[in-house]
Amino acid sequence: MPRRVAVTGIGIVSPLGHGEHAFFEALQAGRSGIRRLDAPFAGRLASPIAASVEFDGSAHFPPPKLRMLDRFSQLALVAAEQAVASADLQLDTAARARAGVFIGTVLGGGHTTDDGYQALYAQGAARLPPFTVLMAMPNAAAAWIGIDHGLAGPNLTWSTACSSSAVAIGEAWRRIRDGEADVILAGGSEAPLNFGTLKAWEALRTMASEDPADPAASCKPFARDRSGLVLGEGAAVLVLEDWERARERGAHIRGELLGYGLSTDNAHITRPTVDGQARAMRLALESAALPATAIDHVNAHGTGTQANDATETAAIKQVFGARAFDIPISATKAMHGHLLGAGAAVELVATLLALERGVLPPTINLVQRDPDCDLDYVAEGARAVKGAEIAMSNSFAFGGTNAVLICGSAGRGPSRKRSIS
Amino acid sequence: MKPQDMPTFDVLREVMATDHGLAPESLTPDTLLSELAIDSLALIELIFTLEDRFKVVAGNVPADLPTLGSVADYIDGLRAAGAAAADTDVPAS
Repeated sequence: MPRRVAVTGIGIVSPLGHGEHAFFEALQAGRSGIRRLDAPFAGRLASPIAASVEFDGSAHFPPPKLRMLDRFSQLALVAAEQAVASADLQLDTAARARAGVFIGTVLGGGHTTDDGYQALYAQGAARLPPFTVLMAMPNAAAAWIGIDHGLAGPNLTWSTACSSSAVAIGEAWRRIRDGEADVILAGGSEAPLNFGTLKAWEALRTMASEDPADPAASCKPFARDRSGLVLGEGAAVLVLEDWERARERGAHIRGELLGYGLSTDNAHITRPTVDGQARAMRLALESAALPATAIDHVNAHGTGTQANDATETAAIKQVFGARAFDIPISATKAMHGHLLGAGAAVELVATLLALERGVLPPTINLVQRDPDCDLDYVAEGARAVKGAEIAMSNSFAFGGTNAVLICGSAGRGPSRKRSIS
Repeated sequence: MKPQDMPTFDVLREVMATDHGLAPESLTPDTLLSELAIDSLALIELIFTLEDRFKVVAGNVPADLPTLGSVADYIDGLRAAGAAAADTDVPAS
């Protein structure tokens, strides 16, 4: 029999602050973490804006260890530490063997790679620092989390572009549901704010132009004047746990992961499809054994690109029909930026906290309405809601991997909307 | 004084203090790397730093470097080889 999966710990290091409380307070206030980039290369960027994290690794790690950690691993380790502490997770040796780590990332240790190229090609260095491979490898963050917390179960890194951490969390959900693991630290981490990565993204012509009046308002999901995405950095890690195990140990259950849908556009390397996105949403509902009417809230992929937002709107309409107009949809990337491989994990945290607190984050900067994006995007500001118990979080990706997660509040009523049958 | 002119062990002690937060006066040639939690990776990093300081080039790090003294001896060997190579590199005219 499939097991239920509880969320018992939440950790987040984001452009909106460290820890879930700072993060959600900023979301609720509609505060943007996007700002002009303070970097020596900023003048060479067409649009020098990003959602950076105020973070000093030396405050968290002793120097010998810090020298072995790319920024993406540092962010991930701090988020994991928060998650484990908030879950009050105590594992004996047997439990550690059934506890794993699933992390999504796109670039892995991109700063290390960028620094290495700079040294080798620009400065003519004869050699690279000895830990270059160990810092740059995409599985470094997951590996270090496993080492630091003594987790001996499956340790996997998922890379499906912007849906990476939705896949990490969804695959972790499946492992626990099916009894292959009891506890998994699942999430994502990304640190893409280096010169090489930003120039590569700039070349794709998908980056938002800087809002001349207010750089913090440059990302405008679902608005007619949206001009693209804004990259951000950060990490979010959840403790996912077998529901019965969590209940027996008296854990504070923060929410439940109910479903996960995975589809592929198989059409174009960047252009999304309505059918592919809609299929992932339907598969998530199916895996949760929920009808579409069960969904009270959607955290959209909502990147602020022309292609995504119109496609996602059409896909939501295809799945929910006329009810699509009644579902409040939040696009929080306007505030925390697009965190690539960490994006879905950050947005699932936003979604879980929205259900827990009964407050839906707003989609900021949505002033000019787009006739192709005509749903309820919570544009007026944070919205207090009663009875919102089940929500969907969408993540779609270059390459076409669409991943959708469904979560529920911990204390929701008895199967009011739980079963299709 | 440039590092190249300093005794190897003095520089090694300074690097250990700076990079690993160890008290220099507690470090002797007989101090075991294992006592300092210097594992194989940390040793590679240490040799890398000493290569920079002494402008020498190490190959693969030997397996038998159990103490700070043996590390200093290894670097001394590289320094001596480097000095000998520099002598033979002097142009004839």
